[in-house]
Amino acid sequence: MSKNSNSCIALMSDSKIFLQQVLALLAKDLKTEWRTREIFTSMFVFAVLVVVVFNFAIGADTELIRQVASGVIWIALSFASVLGLQRTGQMEREEDSLQGVLLALHDRSALFVARMLAQMLYLLVVVICTLPLCGIWFRIDFIACIGGLCVVFALGMLGLSIVGTLFGMIALHTRACEVMLPMLFLPVSIPLTIAAVQATAQLIDGKSLRDIADYLVLIGIFDVVFFVLVLMVFDYIVEE
Amino acid sequence: MVHLKGVIKHFGTITALRGIDLELKRGCCLGVFGPNGAGKTTLLRILATLARPSAGTVRIAGYDAAKEGEQVRPLLGVLSHRTFLYGHLTAYENLQFYGRMFGLEKLAERITEVLQAVDLVTYAHQLVRTYSRGMQQRLAIARAILHYPKLLLLDEPYTGLDKHAVSRLHDLIVHLHAESCTIIMSTHDLHRGLDVCDEIAIQCRGKIVYRGLSLGTDVQEFEQLYSAYVR
Amino acid sequence: MPKWWTIMLFVMAFPFIYLCMNRVFHVTVMCITMNVAIMLVFIYAPTEKMQGIVQKIFYFHVSSAITMFFAFFLVCVASIMYLWKTSDWWDSIALSAAEIGVVFCTLVLITGPLWARPIWGTWWSWDPTLTLTLVLWLIYVAYLMLRIETYDPQRARFAAILGIIGFVDVPVIRWSVEKWRTLHPKPVLIQEGGTTGLTSAMLLTFLVCVGAFFLLFFYLLRERISVAQSRHALEVLRHEIDEICVG
Repeated sequence: MSKNSNSCIALMSDSKIFLQQVLALLAKDLKTEWRTREIFTSMFVFAVLVVVVFNFAIGADTELIRQVASGVIWIALSFASVLGLQRTGQMEREEDSLQGVLLALHDRSALFVARMLAQMLYLLVVVICTLPLCGIWFRIDFIACIGGLCVVFALGMLGLSIVGTLFGMIALHTRACEVMLPMLFLPVSIPLTIAAVQATAQLIDGKSLRDIADYLVLIGIFDVVFFVLVLMVFDYIVEE
Repeated sequence: MVHLKGVIKHFGTITALRGIDLELKRGCCLGVFGPNGAGKTTLLRILATLARPSAGTVRIAGYDAAKEGEQVRPLLGVLSHRTFLYGHLTAYENLQFYGRMFGLEKLAERITEVLQAVDLVTYAHQLVRTYSRGMQQRLAIARAILHYPKLLLLDEPYTGLDKHAVSRLHDLIVHLHAESCTIIMSTHDLHRGLDVCDEIAIQCRGKIVYRGLSLGTDVQEFEQLYSAYVR
Repeated sequence: MPKWWTIMLFVMAFPFIYLCMNRVFHVTVMCITMNVAIMLVFIYAPTEKMQGIVQKIFYFHVSSAITMFFAFFLVCVASIMYLWKTSDWWDSIALSAAEIGVVFCTLVLITGPLWARPIWGTWWSWDPTLTLTLVLWLIYVAYLMLRIETYDPQRARFAAILGIIGFVDVPVIRWSVEKWRTLHPKPVLIQEGGTTGLTSAMLLTFLVCVGAFFLLFFYLLRERISVAQSRHALEVLRHEIDEICVG
């Protein structure tokens, strides 16, 4: 009986330590980002650039632009994601502080969870800033479907963050990391991009959440599968 | 306190460690000397659980470092020639971060204590990227001792420091040794190494080729010993 | 109750695999089977009524596809074993299977359009399986590039992680591409019909083709693995010599 309660206490304190460490890492990353604002600025500017360039590339046909709007938004997000990860990786390489963090970690996956949450937050801020601009330029009323959009964007950005954080850490160790990161990240995230673009497009067209249920299920499964997979292999990435 | 048995480490096709056996009692200070490429840094990294041995066992304070790493890590303090500090945060924030990671109680008092020990209290709220190399190294020591480690791993701690900073660091290490902290230090500075260490080991090409007490050994004797063992 | 010949095939498989351990036997059987396959495809198999002679690409196209999926499955298994056991041998298997898999993948991507053009009138019809093959090609080419670009100690490990992820992604990609495909208009069939089902002669030809491709795959695999192992042994020797010379 006491052994059970001991292992219960151990488990509880393990999760408590895990949560504490994730929060400490997240606070540190956000504090650094708030001081420098490098990552967010580059992501936001790049996303806006992508949207504007696509706008010019597609032409002046408002109906056509409306149809491809959802694709343009998600492409801008994917590429902004890649850029943000590259900046994070570059900053980390300059400071080489990863080893210090590893020494303090109880469970190493806390690092992955914290990084993923930070990346999600950056993407979230980029979306909040970019979406109104897209609404104005593409003449789409996002407010009407804001509830559904929140769900789609939340799930989609979670997936992008999970895959992005994983490949960001792997690409750090390669010689041509600027090339390797998009090469790894973009093909693997294709199912997510397909489902997110379709779900967003249908929401804009006026469909309800129930209509896009199977896309949401696909994104959800993608997120869960990759989250579990990365947690299992994360130790192998950070250790030598 | 520290038991290594038959530790071998391969990095792809390179063999960095070829069977290291090491025993160290609590409170002892071991100096590891050797040429570049002998595997000193690899040995310290394996002790710090930053790398996993390809073969052999590593036991620290009774825990298996490979399997029970999370029990071992809070006991270790690591100082390397890289500082593991965040340039865009202040010294106080850096220590606060590590303190939170280790779950220290009464964090503010402890931070003030270690900053006093390394004499950085006046600069506590400046960004670390404005620090000189010597100051950064002192802050790194503060980070290393923040969580009351039982085993201190120092990888060439005197590198890149001026004379003043070196003597300050040396005094601090002597002080920690007096407080029964187990220390393993790898250095090229023979004089200071012999001064503070109880035992010495010479590592060459992945093996420990000499192990002995340092009592009474002066620098010339040691240099002769060193040349004899390292061809 | 399974047919007598399937039981016989199953029983004969084991001594056959044992005999194939011998390289000469393997090469001989492979060459014979390949030649038999080619003869069967062009002479024995009946020309399909609807699609004409173009349909014969099907034998090579689908055989390549099956071999490709098996190759990538092998990469996944070898990657898991490598992470578990950290043995160079599993790493060599993963690398070799990935390289050969990419080759077969390229074959699928070439034969696909060659088959599609006369039938559908376009080179590329965004067919779900072909799109899946394209995405897999991108992923495994990235795998090979990762192996080239990573610094030595972690190379095998990161590649192993990608190998596992790539294969686990397959059902997800397949599902998403199918859903996406339902929105894409099918190109108009120039020739009516499509396959009207395989007759027993076609089935036999197809099975022999698959067998030939598998024998080819395993032969390429064993050769590539032995090259990888030799290269690894050479590197180890080189380092030892360097150390002795320096000392």
